[in-house]
Amino acid sequence: MEVTSSSGTSSGKATSNAGNWKEYERVLLPPVKDLHKLDVYEDKGGYAALREVLTGKWEPATVADTVKASGLRGRGGASFNTGLKWTFMPPVDDGPRYLCCNGDESEPGTFKDRQLMEYNPHLVFEGILIACYAMSITTCYLYIRGEYADWITHMERELEKAYARGYVGKNIFGTDFSTDIVIHKGAGAYICGEETSLMESLEGKRAYPRIKPPFPAQFGCWGRPTTINNVETLACVPLIISRGADWFAGLGAKTLPGPVLYGISGHVNRPGVYEYPTGMLISDLIYDVCRGMRNDKKLKAVVPGGSSTPPLRADMIDGICMDADSLREAGSMMGTAGMLVMDEDTDMVKWLRRVSHFYHHESCGQCTPCREGTGWLERLVAKIDEGEGNLRDLDLLIDLCSEMEGRTVCALADAAAWPVRYTLDRFRDEFEAKCRPSSVPVTQLVTA
Amino acid sequence: MDLHEPEVAKLPPRNPEPQVDPDALVFSAEEKERIAGYQKRYPTAEGAIMRALWLAQEKFGFLPPEVIRLVADELGVPYASAYGVATFYTQYYKEKVGRFVLDVCTCFSCQLCGGVDMLHHLESKLGVKAGETTADGMFTIQGVECLGACGSAPMMQVTNGPYIYNLTEDKLDELIEAMRAGSMPGFTSVTLPQDEDEMGGNRRTDIDEVAVYQTPPVAREID
Repeated sequence: MEVTSSSGTSSGKATSNAGNWKEYERVLLPPVKDLHKLDVYEDKGGYAALREVLTGKWEPATVADTVKASGLRGRGGASFNTGLKWTFMPPVDDGPRYLCCNGDESEPGTFKDRQLMEYNPHLVFEGILIACYAMSITTCYLYIRGEYADWITHMERELEKAYARGYVGKNIFGTDFSTDIVIHKGAGAYICGEETSLMESLEGKRAYPRIKPPFPAQFGCWGRPTTINNVETLACVPLIISRGADWFAGLGAKTLPGPVLYGISGHVNRPGVYEYPTGMLISDLIYDVCRGMRNDKKLKAVVPGGSSTPPLRADMIDGICMDADSLREAGSMMGTAGMLVMDEDTDMVKWLRRVSHFYHHESCGQCTPCREGTGWLERLVAKIDEGEGNLRDLDLLIDLCSEMEGRTVCALADAAAWPVRYTLDRFRDEFEAKCRPSSVPVTQLVTA
Repeated sequence: MDLHEPEVAKLPPRNPEPQVDPDALVFSAEEKERIAGYQKRYPTAEGAIMRALWLAQEKFGFLPPEVIRLVADELGVPYASAYGVATFYTQYYKEKVGRFVLDVCTCFSCQLCGGVDMLHHLESKLGVKAGETTADGMFTIQGVECLGACGSAPMMQVTNGPYIYNLTEDKLDELIEAMRAGSMPGFTSVTLPQDEDEMGGNRRTDIDEVAVYQTPPVAREID
């Protein structure tokens, strides 16, 4: 397969943006037995990037510039340029500054960070430490969702070992750079994955998102400058330092480069977490990587990046790659690369009902459009699903989505509205089929 | 379901009768030390509320108002702050639960791959509805939102602890038997598909319990 950067939709022949992915060698989760153990990780060159940065007297700004040059974009859903985000931090003053590593991972369909933390925890720690150095931060809070209790214990055990060996804590590698990592255990709230509510949760409050601006870089945890990055994003940082920004920028799709963990679930023969470059063809992921559809059923829909990204119909994925541009062209988003595959037997109304229930349950209740809107979305979709809906309820749903989008403090209302809007748009016949026929015959309406 | 009032979260009774023996309502010296340790990690006392509530829940089993008050007093924060946190997060049990809480994931990946079937099986086997506790106080079952193990659907979590992947009805029956005998399931590691291909299986030599990603079953019901 030739390396190409075209998304291939115009040529008619599907080409991948991931290059020669069959020969790809994993870097986030390389095939090394017991890589989670500190000794093994060191043996394989672990903490060398941190050592290089600290003892090689890199300027903090150089680290940030390198990350910026690599084109690394956040893996938590918003795909924002990581190096750029780092430069938003104000100049150092006397007070503390914080880094939050977001391991809340609650987006339905997403299950990559859990395996990254289990199998390569020290890569995450090393990334955190390099990020802290780049932004002159002395405390990092690693926020892990409470459901991952076993992985929190695992991470705490490994963190203790890193402390004992002097990689974390005071005067790392004998330099005057000191950083603490604190693991914070959540307790079950989807909203904590949103950066400002994550900070509220850290502060020991109900996790209500904050109004932006001020942005976290100006007013973050306890009112101090704060940067929030996803676990997988930070795990990419040591790789960028040790292998170079050019290597990273050349991997996968041009506008969203690098390795990425695809979490694929649903009606495929071999679901799971797979590491490949970005820009993989969705069809390659389903039919090649995951060995095809379960029971050879036909594909009906794909949700490319977690529950809040709009679903794509089977006929919309031809030549579409898992990267920002290609998915935008198709009418969806990269999100977290947690992909749900649905076969021809799936009832989209029931699926949407479950999605709407999720958002209704997880709305924090701070803003009225979201607190009430998510409830109404669920009630209306449930009504249609129960066969008691009218055709006008479909328009009411769209109206409701418009009343929710962009009218709340955080993006949860948008995330709840998008699946409804786009599922209705792309699978309207299924919804219409479940609605009660109009009680007034169409002819009567026309003549009246 | 009631189309006008879909149930998302039940509020706990506001002022229930005290449920924890007043004599037992204390933290030991060792627990106080742990809570003080949590406080050191944050610039304010509030930061430690979540961890302290976790500790209290492990000790008392659930968080009735008197336990929340104990935590608040120990940290020196207002009761309202601790109560607010305890009622915001779903993993804190506000009411007494069974010895084993079976959280079956029914969010969409699991919904489409048999999660609802598993919940229904538990309901009929244990004779209680989702959200209820068996009369002998052994099991509470509930359907929960995404637990972040979508590729291993259907799956569940036991009492905020271990994950059980790729559930089947037989596997559930065996688990229930083992739990009736008092045994809590252990930690299971899930092998990545690429590890199976490139390393011949599990990458962790320190874990015996291993699951692999499997083709999910065909769901009979999805609501």
